[in-house]
Amino acid sequence: MQSGSTNYLNGILAIAKNAFREAVRDRILYNLIVFVLLITVGAIFLGELTAGQEARVIVNLGLSATLIFGTFISIFVGVSLVWKEIEKKTVYSIFSKPIGRGEFIVGKYLGLCATLLANLVVMGTGVTLALLYVGGKQLIGGVWAAVLLIFLELTIITAVAIMFSSFSTPALSALLTFFVFIIGHFSSSLLEVATTVGTKTAVGFFTAIYYVLPNLSHFSFITETANGMLPTGSMIGSAALYAILFDVVLTTITVVIFSRRNFK
Amino acid sequence: MANSALQNVVLPVAIIAGCFAAIIGLTGPLDRGKPKLADGFTDSDLSMNGSRLKGFALGMEGLLADWYWVRALQYIGDKMVASKDANIDVEDLTSLNPRLLYPLLQNATDLDPHFIGAYSYGALVLPAIDKQKAIELATKGVNNNPNEWQLYQYLGFIYWKVGDYEKAAEIYKKGAEIPGSSSFMKLMAASMKTEGGSRTTARTIYAQMLSESDDQAVQITADRRLKQLDWFDERDAINQTLSAFNERNGRCANSFGEIAPMLMQVKLPEGRQFRIDAGKRLVDPTDAPYKLDKDKCVVTLDIEKTRIAPEN
Repeated sequence: MQSGSTNYLNGILAIAKNAFREAVRDRILYNLIVFVLLITVGAIFLGELTAGQEARVIVNLGLSATLIFGTFISIFVGVSLVWKEIEKKTVYSIFSKPIGRGEFIVGKYLGLCATLLANLVVMGTGVTLALLYVGGKQLIGGVWAAVLLIFLELTIITAVAIMFSSFSTPALSALLTFFVFIIGHFSSSLLEVATTVGTKTAVGFFTAIYYVLPNLSHFSFITETANGMLPTGSMIGSAALYAILFDVVLTTITVVIFSRRNFK
Repeated sequence: MANSALQNVVLPVAIIAGCFAAIIGLTGPLDRGKPKLADGFTDSDLSMNGSRLKGFALGMEGLLADWYWVRALQYIGDKMVASKDANIDVEDLTSLNPRLLYPLLQNATDLDPHFIGAYSYGALVLPAIDKQKAIELATKGVNNNPNEWQLYQYLGFIYWKVGDYEKAAEIYKKGAEIPGSSSFMKLMAASMKTEGGSRTTARTIYAQMLSESDDQAVQITADRRLKQLDWFDERDAINQTLSAFNERNGRCANSFGEIAPMLMQVKLPEGRQFRIDAGKRLVDPTDAPYKLDKDKCVVTLDIEKTRIAPEN
């Protein structure tokens, strides 16, 4: 006889596997990956116009494309994962089994994170091969560190997308998640602007935004990578902890909202 | 069956091919029909300031910096291509009025303060446009990257170009103190004050740039400058020989062939020798034949064929 926690974990694992299978079958996913790989190949040719800066251009263009398209995958797949189950009414058959709503949400989230990780490995390999082609192998270590940081950022974006989709339509959820992505990258700059030109209210407002919304600039390491820098272990560790804390908060909110939802 | 093939394959292919033919045909008239932008459009001020863009690029500041970098290269390239002057003096590009080069490089380095390629390109090209701006950009590079000795080399190089050998020596000395810096930096720090203006110092500086820089733009410029120095050496030697021939014979030589035996005995710096092409013509360092100006009895470059800037 299995304990309650083992059952809980098995339930999450089953949902995660299913979500992973479902996501990798999605054709749009492959289109996005192919597009990133094409951009990376394009960067090799573009690099020839940059007077000896090929490796730098490949890193900047390849990793930026990885971030942007990874974000698109997180948003568009994330907002539709839960919504599709509700729309097709398959959620009823899932909940008729011994699987709770919490397990369902966490499983879906982990499944999509695994999909993103697989995609990022493919995209990172593309950038690595391009770098090897132009003789920029000294940047490869930094590329994979930057890919790891992009993955951590995408786990937050995915959690935000699933949270919005638990109570809103896919279109609105995608829009709201995209706003969080934009504000998340601007928040530290907005705080600087507020402190230099703003009133006390503005400072208070932007400080609140700074702490409540995820500050995604903690995960930005593309420009540094292009200059041959490597993130320190403590930076990656802190960023991972920051991402995990936000993931836990967002997933908990999602579970609470989803548990109160009436499907009748 | 035949009808089905016609409907499913031939007809769609014909439609697609027809449409593409029409698209290709339309492209020319569309391009020609587009109203031309004002002449000064390419030189209009940049609408964005790199320092303000920073923090609003979603973590992709490096990509934007690359974009400004490519624009800077294209900007100078377009200016050179559009210039009516067949032989542009690379030491003085003010006639091209490339006023946007500095703001473009400034934006690139605001967005990515560690963009060494942009600083080095600026150090080589900006002195020919605006020496003060060249010093500002290189100083910014040194301040943003105090451990990159190459940036001290570029800043020292600009001070050397403007003839401020004291300041150049000071900068080279600072760069030489950085661990891992080239011994060249010490050499320059020592020789700058006493031999700053000599051709030997110039040759040492450009040879160092050519051999140690990974930057293609730097290599091209350094190679061009070295060839120019070779030309100065050869010009001086040929003119001396022509002068000696003139004194001896009371007339100028009719061709370089007449002074060839005398030229063969001349020792050029670095152990170099004069070069002759397959047509037995005396050629400059870019393989273009030299010309003899009999009226002045001096050697000149064939400005139609040479890739050397004539004067410094």
